[in-house]
Amino acid sequence: MLAYIVKRLLIMIVMLLLVATMIFLMFRTMPGDPTASMVDPSIPREARQALLERYGLHESLWIQYRIFMRDLVQLDFGNSYFYNRTVLRVIGDRLPATLILMLTAMLFAYTFGVLWGAWMAWNRGSRLESVGVTFSLVFRSAPTFWVGLMAIMLFSVTLGWFPAQGMRTTGYVGDSFAEVFLNHDFVRHLILPAFVAGLYFLATPLLIMRNSMLEVMSEDYIEMARAKGLRDRRVLYKHAARNALLPVVTAGALFIGAAIGGQVLIEVVFSWPGLGREIVQAVTRSDYPLAQGIFIIISALVMFMNLVADVLYALLDPRIAYR
Amino acid sequence: MLEVQNLSIEYTTEDGVLKAVDDVSFNLDRGESLGIVGESGCGKTTVAKALLRLLPENGAISGGSVLFHGEDLVNKSPDEMRRIRHRKIALVSQSAMNSLNPVYSVGHQIREGILAHSDIGRQAANARCVEVFGMVGLEEKRLSSYPHQLSGGMKQRAIIAMALSLEPDIIVADEPTTALDVVVQGRILQRIRAIQKQISTSMIFITHDISVVSEICETIIVMYGGKIMEQADSASFFRAPYHPYSLGLQNAFPSITDTAGEELVSIPGTPPNLMQQQPGCRFRERCPFATDQCRSQTPPLVKVKSNHHAACWYTDQVDDFRTRARDRDTWEAVRTRIEQQEAPQQ
Repeated sequence: MLAYIVKRLLIMIVMLLLVATMIFLMFRTMPGDPTASMVDPSIPREARQALLERYGLHESLWIQYRIFMRDLVQLDFGNSYFYNRTVLRVIGDRLPATLILMLTAMLFAYTFGVLWGAWMAWNRGSRLESVGVTFSLVFRSAPTFWVGLMAIMLFSVTLGWFPAQGMRTTGYVGDSFAEVFLNHDFVRHLILPAFVAGLYFLATPLLIMRNSMLEVMSEDYIEMARAKGLRDRRVLYKHAARNALLPVVTAGALFIGAAIGGQVLIEVVFSWPGLGREIVQAVTRSDYPLAQGIFIIISALVMFMNLVADVLYALLDPRIAYR
Repeated sequence: MLEVQNLSIEYTTEDGVLKAVDDVSFNLDRGESLGIVGESGCGKTTVAKALLRLLPENGAISGGSVLFHGEDLVNKSPDEMRRIRHRKIALVSQSAMNSLNPVYSVGHQIREGILAHSDIGRQAANARCVEVFGMVGLEEKRLSSYPHQLSGGMKQRAIIAMALSLEPDIIVADEPTTALDVVVQGRILQRIRAIQKQISTSMIFITHDISVVSEICETIIVMYGGKIMEQADSASFFRAPYHPYSLGLQNAFPSITDTAGEELVSIPGTPPNLMQQQPGCRFRERCPFATDQCRSQTPPLVKVKSNHHAACWYTDQVDDFRTRARDRDTWEAVRTRIEQQEAPQQ
């Protein structure tokens, strides 16, 4: 198992270097002028040239690439043109906000989806089952920005339960991680966007769990479990759900990877200062180092979560062994 | 100990109601071993599931009673029934290959069954697991194996061990050896038999293999189309069956005692469609001796000898039937008859 993980990690590094190359080329071939966001486009040509030289953008693609890769292997992503700070710092500022939002939403969606999905399969044909399918599909299909706006209208404007936007009340400044994220004010800001994102995520675990449960429930070992005189709940959760969970776990781990990129729409609607918003801005500003950095980090996380999914799978299913 | 009286079971399907078991009655005494034999779809597995009240959702007991120690299981609440399962009536299920949950070790699954019915604690439960594993001839270390690490025969023995773990009054074994090769099957049958005698539990053995019954059961019930065709003491049955269906079954299985080289003769045709409720004997379409009476009136189960009953109108002509049933041509005639009947419909 350990050897397998090490092997996978090594493969990951190779793949990341390939991905970095692709990202590098992608941004250079994209139209747009990186200097435009730093200075007024109407500045004299010489000043612009000086700026290009300062950032090394006048060099040939090959030299730029070599510098980029050399720095990359030292985990140096360079400075953001726009913020004039290191890319890692910018990402470091944004990532926790996105992570907390997405993980909360996923926790909500997966806990609720898995339990409800299992219950729905067990009580197939019941009214609550059709309600569940419809409910989850409505929120999966509805545009998230619309659901977000409706939620803001209902819960912030009309009911006044939650703040409409942002991550904290204006004026609040915290220094440490704890001061920023572990307080009542932050949680109040978190609930609404997490809820809306969670509703959007809900359909995946709910429907996968339901279908996979239906499949598992016709297995002979479920009948055997009942023949053993086990309580229904034990048969449902210990025997059926335990087996039905396997595909849900895979979907979940891959999903975390993708969710880290952030749900751009939700972050925009709720003015959530996360990675998703940042990535869109970085691309439009031709902020090469920042955009590259974010994409590479996201790729790394997706790959890593893939590995986590595989490892989890082996832990959950004794039939699977890695060599 | 167990009295099944006029049990009828129906399945509701998209095309209508299917009467899978019709008016089945039998008794089972302590320590007795009863074999229920029949083709696929004759209702034998349905009977087994009904005893444990584990019928699928579209199935229901539509009539009759199942008296267990004088109490009717049909009227038990789900929770009362749950307490009876495994502890009083244990199941050794049809497909041992898939009856163990792949994500738990075998020991875990046996212990789980024990702890669901008693509060003896993990230690004692573990000790019991070791004990029953010993009884079926599995090594103790195998308790921590997962199902996929065991061979088919080992899995089957593990399931038998599971059924034994609470020393139930009745073990219902539904085709327990079908998936195994003949050698393993023989060994397991002997072991089941020995253990059953040792702990004097009763057994209902459901199989399509009539030779298995001859080996281990004292009583035999032959089912066809949801009804009992013949019910007898095993010795009496295998010496001289009465029902034409039983005569056909005898031909279809090789016997060690019969002269070697004898050809096997199958019964032509297929089991009846239970969706269409028609009067008359269920076996009439495939019976070489069927008459008009068989088509219009359902024969009752009548006593032909002590401990021997058959549902045929012509049990008095059985000697003639026996002679003719041995002749391949008798059955070939049925085949021709069925083919002729089917021809115009096509």
